Amino acid sequence: MFESFIELVFKYRPVVFEQGELGFSPPWPAAVAVMAVLAAMGAAVWVYLRPGRAHGWSRTALLGLRLAALAVLLFALLRPVLVVRTVEAQRNVLAVLVDGSRSMAIADLDAKPRSAFVREALGPSGALRTALERRFTIRDFEFSSTARRVADPAAMTFSGTRSYLGRSLQRTADEVAGLPVSGIVLVTDGADTSREPMADAIRALKSAGLPVFAVGLGREALDKDVQIGRVDPPATVLKGATLVAEVVISQSGYAGRIVPLVVEDEGQVVASQDVTLPPDGEPSAVRVRFTLAEPGPRVLSFRVGAQDGEQVTQNNARQALVTVQDRRERVLYVEGEPRFEMKFLRRAAAGDANLQVVMLQRTADRKFLRLDIDAPDDLAGGFPKTRDELFAYRGLVLGSIEASAFTADQQRMIADFVNQRGGGLLALGGRRAFAEGGYAGTAVADVLPVHLDDAKAGAEFVEEIKVSPTRLGQTHVATQIADTETLSAERWASLPALTTVNPVRRVKPGAALLLEGRGASPGAQVVLAYQRYGAGKVLAMPVQDSWMWQMHATIAAEDMTHETLWRRLLRWLVDGVPERVSAAVDRDRVEAGDAVTVTALVRDGGFLGVNDAAVSATVTGPTGEGRDVPMRFIVDRDGEYRASFVAEQDGLYEIAVAAKRGDEAVGTATAFVRAAPDDGEYFDAAMRATLLKRIAEDTGGRFYTAANASSLADDITYLGRGVTVVQEKDLWDMPIVLALLVGLVGGEWFLRRRVGLP
Amino acid sequence: MKTPLAVAFGVSAAIAAGAAAIPQAPPEPQGTVRLPSIQFPPAQQGPQPMLPGQGERRSMPPFMGLERDRGDAANLEPGQLPYDGRFMFARLRYVQGVPASELGGGRFGRRGFGRGQGPPWSHDYPRAERNFMKILDEITTIAPYTGPVGGAIVDIGSPDLMKFPVSYMAEAGYWTQTDEEAANLRAYLTKGGFIIFDDFRGGDWSNFEAQMKRVLPDVRMVELDISHPIFHAFFDVATLDFVQFYGRSEKALFIGAYEDNDPSKRLLFIANYNNDVGEYWEFSDTGWTPIDLSNEAYKLGVNYIVYALTH
Repeated sequence: MFESFIELVFKYRPVVFEQGELGFSPPWPAAVAVMAVLAAMGAAVWVYLRPGRAHGWSRTALLGLRLAALAVLLFALLRPVLVVRTVEAQRNVLAVLVDGSRSMAIADLDAKPRSAFVREALGPSGALRTALERRFTIRDFEFSSTARRVADPAAMTFSGTRSYLGRSLQRTADEVAGLPVSGIVLVTDGADTSREPMADAIRALKSAGLPVFAVGLGREALDKDVQIGRVDPPATVLKGATLVAEVVISQSGYAGRIVPLVVEDEGQVVASQDVTLPPDGEPSAVRVRFTLAEPGPRVLSFRVGAQDGEQVTQNNARQALVTVQDRRERVLYVEGEPRFEMKFLRRAAAGDANLQVVMLQRTADRKFLRLDIDAPDDLAGGFPKTRDELFAYRGLVLGSIEASAFTADQQRMIADFVNQRGGGLLALGGRRAFAEGGYAGTAVADVLPVHLDDAKAGAEFVEEIKVSPTRLGQTHVATQIADTETLSAERWASLPALTTVNPVRRVKPGAALLLEGRGASPGAQVVLAYQRYGAGKVLAMPVQDSWMWQMHATIAAEDMTHETLWRRLLRWLVDGVPERVSAAVDRDRVEAGDAVTVTALVRDGGFLGVNDAAVSATVTGPTGEGRDVPMRFIVDRDGEYRASFVAEQDGLYEIAVAAKRGDEAVGTATAFVRAAPDDGEYFDAAMRATLLKRIAEDTGGRFYTAANASSLADDITYLGRGVTVVQEKDLWDMPIVLALLVGLVGGEWFLRRRVGLP
Repeated sequence: MKTPLAVAFGVSAAIAAGAAAIPQAPPEPQGTVRLPSIQFPPAQQGPQPMLPGQGERRSMPPFMGLERDRGDAANLEPGQLPYDGRFMFARLRYVQGVPASELGGGRFGRRGFGRGQGPPWSHDYPRAERNFMKILDEITTIAPYTGPVGGAIVDIGSPDLMKFPVSYMAEAGYWTQTDEEAANLRAYLTKGGFIIFDDFRGGDWSNFEAQMKRVLPDVRMVELDISHPIFHAFFDVATLDFVQFYGRSEKALFIGAYEDNDPSKRLLFIANYNNDVGEYWEFSDTGWTPIDLSNEAYKLGVNYIVYALTH
C-alpha cells in the first residue's frame, strides 16, 4: 500500500530511491535556466513590493507562493535524474530455494496451506515465476536437511522431516558459485530445526556477496493453536519413582479453556491432569506427576487433545525417552544411638523394593549392629575406612552420631563422598548431630547446606516445631506427600509437630530450603535444606522425630505419609548419583541416518578418572543385531571416552558400554537413543519473521510475505548482484512536480482573488 | 546413686566383654510359625468385683531363704514427664474397674490388686525401670531418661501412648481393656509400636490370649527360639532356660507375634510367659538375687529395647 502510493506520487518505488543517487542532466545550459528563473523571481518581488498592491501577511504569502512555484519550475528545468545500478535482464541467474518440509502443509494462509503459495506463484505459469523469468535465469532448489535442485517447485511433495535452513542456504550458494548470480530467493516458513548457528551461514553468504530475498509464508502468530513447548523428565529414574515433569504449554485462541494433559507410557495412560490454558502467547509451566512401573527405556508422550479449529495439531504432543532402572539403591545409614528415627526410617524404606538401606547401628562404644548387609563381613570393622568401601554406597545418612566417632580421614572421606564420588549425604538431627555433635569446623560441616552456629544448644534444649513446606518445598518432588500439590499442602498443614534439639536457623548461600519449622523461639528452624556440593548433593534435616508422622495419635494406622516422605527423600538422595562407569548420548532422539555420539566416564574405586581402560560399546539396533564400537579416550578430561555410530533406521538403539582395566572389569553402563522422524518444525510453527528478516537484512536482501512478494522481481532488479548496468531515471516528470506547480500557482491565484487583486 | 546400683554395675562389668566385640550379623528369623507348646492350668477363681482405689500392701513370699521388703509404696501418679525425644521407659496402665460386660473374657476374676502389692500394672514400679534404665544408659549408647520415677506411666487408651513406641506391661494376666483401649493398642502395634509383656504365668495365659485377640483378632502367637534376632540384638543370649524368680518351676517361654503374621517381618510384641524379668530388675541392687540371674534378666531387657529400636 505504502509502496504503491510512493510509486504513484514519485513515479518510482522506494527501492529505486534507496539504491539511486540524485543527479541533474539539463538539456540546455544550466546557467540559462537559472538566470531565467532568477529574473522571474526578481520580477515577482518587484511587483509584490510595490506600494498599494497588497499588505501585511497576504503580501508575504503571495510572494512566497510565487517564489516556490518558480523554484519547482527551476528544479524541473534542470532535469533531475536518479543514477541507479540495475541487473541486466536475462544475463543473471537467480536461485529460488523452496522449503520442502512438512510444516509447509500448515494451513494458515487464508485457510490454504503454505505450500499453496509455491504452487500458485512459483508454478510454471505463476505470476511471480513469470516476473522473475522475464529478468533472470531461474535455478530451482528445494531444501529439507540440505538443498537439492528440482525441476518444478509446483511438483514438490513437502514431506521433509527437517528444516536445516543455514546449511541449505550455504549449499545453494555453493551450487551457483561461479555464475553471475543476482541472489537467492528463499521461500519458507522460517522453521529451522538444525542446531547449527545461523550466523555461520549468514557470514558465508555475505562473503560470497549473495543477497537473500526471503519470502516468509504463514502467519507470524497462529490464530488457534495449542502447543507443548517443552518437557523435561529426568533421563533416568528408579522403578516406581514418582516423577514430576515440567511441561510448558503455550496457546493462542483458547485462553482460559481447561484441557486434560495426558501422559502416556508406550500408549498406556499414566497421568491425566486438567490444565487451564494460559493467556495468548504466554507460556505456562505445568507440573505433572506420574509413576513409571515398567523397567527399561520408555517413550513417554505428553499430549493435549486437538481443539476445535486448531491449525496445527502435530505440536500438541511431545515425546521423551526415560530409562527406568530396576535396581536396589544402596544407602548406608550410620546411627550413633538406637532411636526411633532409625527404626521408622528403616521400616519406611523396607517397603520399597528399590531401596536398600544398610544400617550400621552403634549400640555401645565400638559395638555395632549391622542390618540389611549383603555379606557377613560387610562393615565388620564399623564405618568404612577406605574410599573404595564407602564409595560403593550411593547414599549416606548420618544419624545422631558425634563427629569424634569418625577419624579426621573418615570425615574427609564423607566430604569426598559428596564432592568427588557424587553421592548423596543426608544429615539428620539428634543430640549428637550438627553443632551439638561437634561437627563445627570439620570437613563434614563444609559440605552441609546449613551454618552450624557457634553456640551449641544446651543439654536441655528441645523445641517443638510445626513444620511447613517453603514455596519451593510445595512443588519439590521430595516433599510431595500426597497425589497433588493441593492435597500435599493440606497434608503438611495437618501433620503433628516435631521436636528439634539442634537450633539450625541459617542455610548457606546457594542452598535451598524445602521445609521449615516454627516454634516458641523467634525465627524459622531449618527442617529440610539441600545444596549441590561438588559432584553430589547434601541434605540437612535437623529434627529428631519425624517418626511422629507415623506414630502420632492423629495419624491413622493405614496412613502412608511417613513412608511416602522417606521413600521420596531417599530416592531423591540417590537420584543422579553416578556409577563407576556411566554412559550418555548427545541427544535422546535422532533421525535415521544421523550420527550419535556416545560419551562414557570411567572411574576407579575412589571415583578418579581412569585413562588407561579398555572401553567398548556394543550398539544393538532395532533389528537386534549388535555391533561393537571401540571408544577412545578424550584427552581433554580424565576418564572420558567417546565413540560415534550412525543410527541407520528408525527404532531404539541400546548402547552397552563395558570398561576393563587389565583383567579387572571396572563396570558397565547402558544408554539408549531413539531414531524417529523429527517433528521439531511443528513446534513454534508460526512463520518466523524475525529470523528471516535477519537473514535478508544481513545479506543485503529484503524480507517479503506472500502479500507483497509480487514486487520481488522489481526489487531484485535494483538490489541484486551479478551483471549490472547503470541507468538514469528521469525525475522531472514525477507527478509530484506537476502537482506542486499546479498547487502553488493555483494557491496564489486563489489568494489574490481573496484580497481583491486581479 | 551408685550404692543401690552396685550390683547392677557388677552386671555391666560382667557383660562388658560381650559388649566390646562386634557380633556377626544376626540370623534371619526362623521361617516357620510354631504355636506355643503350652499346657494351661484351669482358672482357679471365679469373677470378683474390683474395688477402685484398693491398695493394701502384701507380705512378700520368701525367696531363696531371704525375707524381703519393697520399702515405701510407690507414688503411682508421678505426673507427666515432658517429652524431649529421649528414650523413656513406658509402663502401660490398664484401667481398674472395667465393667464385666465390657471385658472380653479371660481371667477377669483375678483382676484387681493381685497379691496385695498395688495394682498389677504397677508391679515392680518404679525400681525396676529405674534400675533398668541406668543399666541401659551405662552399657548402650541409648542415653535414656534415668530420672527418679524411672519412666512414664501411660494409659493403654491414651493418645500419649503413641509417643512411646516401646512399652512394657506387667502382670498381663490381669490386663483388662475396653474396646476403645483395644483399638488404641491395635493402632499402636500396627503403626510400629512394640510391647514387652512380663510377669505372668500359668493360667494367666487365657486372659492374655483373650485380650490380645481383642487387640489383634488375627494374631498368631508363636514361641520364639534362641535363633531369633531379638535374643542377639545386643547380647548374644546363650540359652532361654531362664530361672524364674521365687524359684518357680514352670518353664519360661518367650512368645511373640509377627507383623502380618509374617516371620520375615518385625515382632509386634514379646511376652515373657512364665517369667518375670521385671522382678530381677527391681531387686538387682539389693543383693537378694544372684548376679548371674539378674544379668540374664538385664540381657533380655537390653536386647528387647535394642531390637525394638531397630526393627
